[in-house]
Formats: sequence, C-alpha cells, structure tokens
Amino acid sequence: MGQQEENLEQDQDKTSAAAPSRSIWSGSITIGLVNVPVKLFSMIYDKGVSFHFLHKPDGQPLKYVKMCTKDDKIVPWNEVVRGYEVAKNEYITFEKAELDAVRPESDKRIRISKFVDYFSVDPIYFDRTYALLPDKSKDAYTLLLNALQKTNKAGACRITLRTKEYPALLHPYKGALVLTTLRYAYDVVDPRDFEKLGKLEIPQKAELDLAVKIVKDLSGEFDITEFKDSYMEKVQELVKQKAKGEKITVTQAPEVEVKGLMVALRETLKQLEKK
Amino acid sequence: MTDDLDEIGKLTKVKLKNLDKCFYPDVGVTKAHVIEYYVTLAPKILPVVKDRPLVLTRYPDGIKDSQLGKTSFFEKNAPEGTPAWVKLYPIYSHTSKRDVNYIICNDLDTLIWLANLAALEIHMPFSTIHGINKPDLLFFDVDPEPPATLNDAAEVALQLKDKLLSLGLTPFIKTSGKKGLHVVIPIDPEHSFEATRAFVHQIGIELAKNNDLIVSEFKDTKKPGKVFTDYLQNSPMRTMVIPYSLRPTPEATVSTPLDWSEVQKGLNPTDYTLFSVSKRTSYPWKEIFSKRCKLEI
Repeated sequence: MGQQEENLEQDQDKTSAAAPSRSIWSGSITIGLVNVPVKLFSMIYDKGVSFHFLHKPDGQPLKYVKMCTKDDKIVPWNEVVRGYEVAKNEYITFEKAELDAVRPESDKRIRISKFVDYFSVDPIYFDRTYALLPDKSKDAYTLLLNALQKTNKAGACRITLRTKEYPALLHPYKGALVLTTLRYAYDVVDPRDFEKLGKLEIPQKAELDLAVKIVKDLSGEFDITEFKDSYMEKVQELVKQKAKGEKITVTQAPEVEVKGLMVALRETLKQLEKK
Repeated sequence: MTDDLDEIGKLTKVKLKNLDKCFYPDVGVTKAHVIEYYVTLAPKILPVVKDRPLVLTRYPDGIKDSQLGKTSFFEKNAPEGTPAWVKLYPIYSHTSKRDVNYIICNDLDTLIWLANLAALEIHMPFSTIHGINKPDLLFFDVDPEPPATLNDAAEVALQLKDKLLSLGLTPFIKTSGKKGLHVVIPIDPEHSFEATRAFVHQIGIELAKNNDLIVSEFKDTKKPGKVFTDYLQNSPMRTMVIPYSLRPTPEATVSTPLDWSEVQKGLNPTDYTLFSVSKRTSYPWKEIFSKRCKLEI
C-alpha cells in the first residue's frame, strides 16, 4: 500500500509512472560474436484501480482455494494435475515434470537475428515493454543505442522470460534501449476472416475527398496526457475522504426493485399448483 | 432487497442476472419488470406453448434505437450454457445440415430462464412435437398496410370471424402488438401444412371478392390502405409471436388475446402494454384447446 500511495502521489504532478529499483532478468544482447551485458526492468504498470476483497464482518482479506467441482472439497496442491481439454469435459493429464522437460531452456541471451525498420512491425503484435539498462560496462550499450538511433532500426530478437520464449523487438526509446515482447502470429486474428466484414466497396471520389478533408482538418500531434482516467481520479478522491474519516454519501442508489417479481413468483407458483 | 433476492432464489432454479438493466427506456421497464411480467402471465402462456419448439428474439441490451446497429438476434438453437433441465427438441435443418435443438417451454422455470436470456419476443409454430408436420392451429395474419390501421384490420377480422363460424370453426383473436391482428383456429392435427395453407388462402380469396379493402395475394401486400390476410405462415416451423409475448416497441406493447366483443372501432395497439396486460384478469383463450374442430377439407 505504501508503495502504491507514493506512486499515486507522484502521478499528480508527473504523468509517467515511478521507475522500479529491482531488475527482473539479467543477461546479454548477442549480435553475432558481440555481447552487450544488460539488466531488464519492468516499465509497464497496469495500475488502474484495484481493490482487495475483504470479509465484511471482520475485515480480513479473503483467499482463493481450489475446490473439487464434484464434492466441493478443498484440494491440496499435491493432488493437482494439469489437464489439457481435448473435447468437452475430456482431458489428457500432465505431471509438472513432463511439461518442464519440453520447456525452453532459460537462456541468458537476447539473440538479435536481424535489424528491421521499427515502423514495419505492426503495433498489433506489441505485447509488453521492458527497459534494458547497461550491466557493468556502458560502452557497448551506448554504441548499440547510438547505432540504432542513427539508422532508425530495431533489432528483431528472441528472449526467454521465466519459461516462455518470446519474439521481441529491441529499440531505442527516450535515450535508452527497451525491449518489447511480441505476440506470436497464432495469437492474432486476421480481420479479413470476419465474415461480417464482407467485401467493401470503393467509395465515390467526391465522398472520399470530403472524408479526407475532414481527417486533415482534425489532424494533430498525439499526446497521451490528453487522456485521463476519470474513474481512477474519482476513486482516489473517495479514498482520501474516507482516510480522513469523512462520510461518503452515495448519490445514486443502484437498488433493484425485485419485490414485485418475488410476489408475482409466489402468486404464479400457487396458481400453477392448483391445476 | 437482498431478502427478496434470497426468497426469489428459493422459488426458481434460474440464476437471475442484471435485473436492474433497462430494457424499455421510454417507459422505464427493467429486466426485473420483464421477468415479473412473464411470471405473472405464465399461467396463461404455458398451456398454449406446451410442447411447441420455440424461436426467440433476444435483446441483450433492451430496446434501442436500431440506428445504433443490430441490437437483437433470432435464436432457434438452444444457446451454449443451456441448463440440463431445459427440455430440448431436435429438428434436422436442411439448410445448416445439422440438428437444431429447439427449446420446449412446459414449465415456469423455463419461461423465467427465457426472460432472463432477454428473449423479449417468443415465437411458436402451429404444430407440436407430437406431429411437427400436422398443424393443430390455422393462422390468419390480418396485416393492414398504411394508411389502413388496426381499425381496418378489426373490420376484416370480424368478417373473417363470421365466415369461420359459418363453417363450424371456432376462431380466437389477439393483437399482434404492432399494427395487425392474429386469428387462430384450433383443429384436430390430421392434415398437412399444404392442406391448411390452401384452406386459409381460399378463405382469404373469398373474403377479398366481397370487400375491396382485403387482398389475399402476397404480391398485393404493399398496396397502400389494404389489409392482407396472410396465409403463408401456415408452414412447418413458420411461427407467430406467442400470446402475451412482449414486442420491441417503445411502449412495451404486448400481443394480447382479446374477446371478440373487444374487437371494434377504436382498437389501439398501445392500449395493450406490459403494464395494462398484467392487470387484465380476463383470459380469452382459456378454452382454445377444448374447442378443437375437425377440419373437413
């Protein structure tokens, strides 16, 4: 909570998130025979607003338990196996060891296979971005960064994080190297496969000219700070008030009226029974 | 409120969801109101829909301006997640080359479940699972084309009634909930749909001969100011909205069974809404299945 609060406070005057102090991975970028030692840091928060579920009468946090759907008994870890659903309600089971054997080896390398134009990679494939910082020496790191900046290129590479191998793009961002993991092609739908899209007609020239004019008139620079999370701002305001012990008045009562439904149910059941 | 919800949980096995969702914004009707309405009318609905494969029109976000895009969808096949206790009836579909599992609604819980699916409109065929190709109802869709109105439809329906009575048949009538009227005659299920369709068509032709207001042919349906006696729905798995089905109109109108004495000038579809119909005590279709006639063709 302390950490979170600090981050929120900072957000008020600064638009970006706080930098973490601990790296999550260390290794090196390899290009042919050249090695650039680096550390990997998280740089994306999924902040939004999050709440913990508590038990109302005593205020204690709740925990999740695994329950068997057949007898509603709590299942201990040593009785859990992984099941791959091959048909509805039909599973092939695996032990953890069997899956570990085929997992990619945790390799401490970011292997660059080629350099590509950054804008040639559609953002639809972008998954998650990490900051890469120099480890030990800064020389090789600075050299690679400057070369990429000068050529406007990005390194197409692979990285193994935890136990999954990702395609990734290594590129400069605000004076540092960052790595963006990419989605595999099999995770992305080709919109042409939506039957609902159908065949699109080419518009009339006059109509198109008008539409193009509107687009041009409304063109401008993109600025992420123009977008505000108003729900988070309101919740933060409420948190502040509550922390000070102020009473919150709920302006809308989201009560559902179900009395009529309950009475109707009773009445109808009585009538149907008579028959 | 939670006490009421708990109580409701004990009375039905349907897990009710999003009860506060607004379904008819113009008249402030929520999903809870819609379910309450169907529960109230269940004793009048269930006997008519019994053993009939149903077709749904679902409005997951209620009635909205259709300009905002598609807000409803037709559903024949029971959706994924249909509880095991819902009775289904498979019919092979030649167009999709597989069985379509139609929902059979013979009990209150199934009706509540349909309302919970936001199936505001429910449609039924003119035969039952005991003989899906042997209709047990004749159906006349009395459909006025503007500027003809419900009043014109009522005039035609009354002529139709006299004609049917003279043939020894017992017609029943309901509003469509929109601009028309539905006339239904219970018969012994012993003929094919071809035969009942031809019979209904023939009656339309005879009525049209004596009244300029009436057209009996599909090609004439769009002639302004005319009333079409539609016979074409008398076909396997063609449907009508069930009696007391809600309609997707801003006023939450209902396809309402009427006494023949109520069929007269001044009939207004918006007089029959979720609010007024749930207070109506009369049950004009009460004897529909004890008045079955043998149709001599």
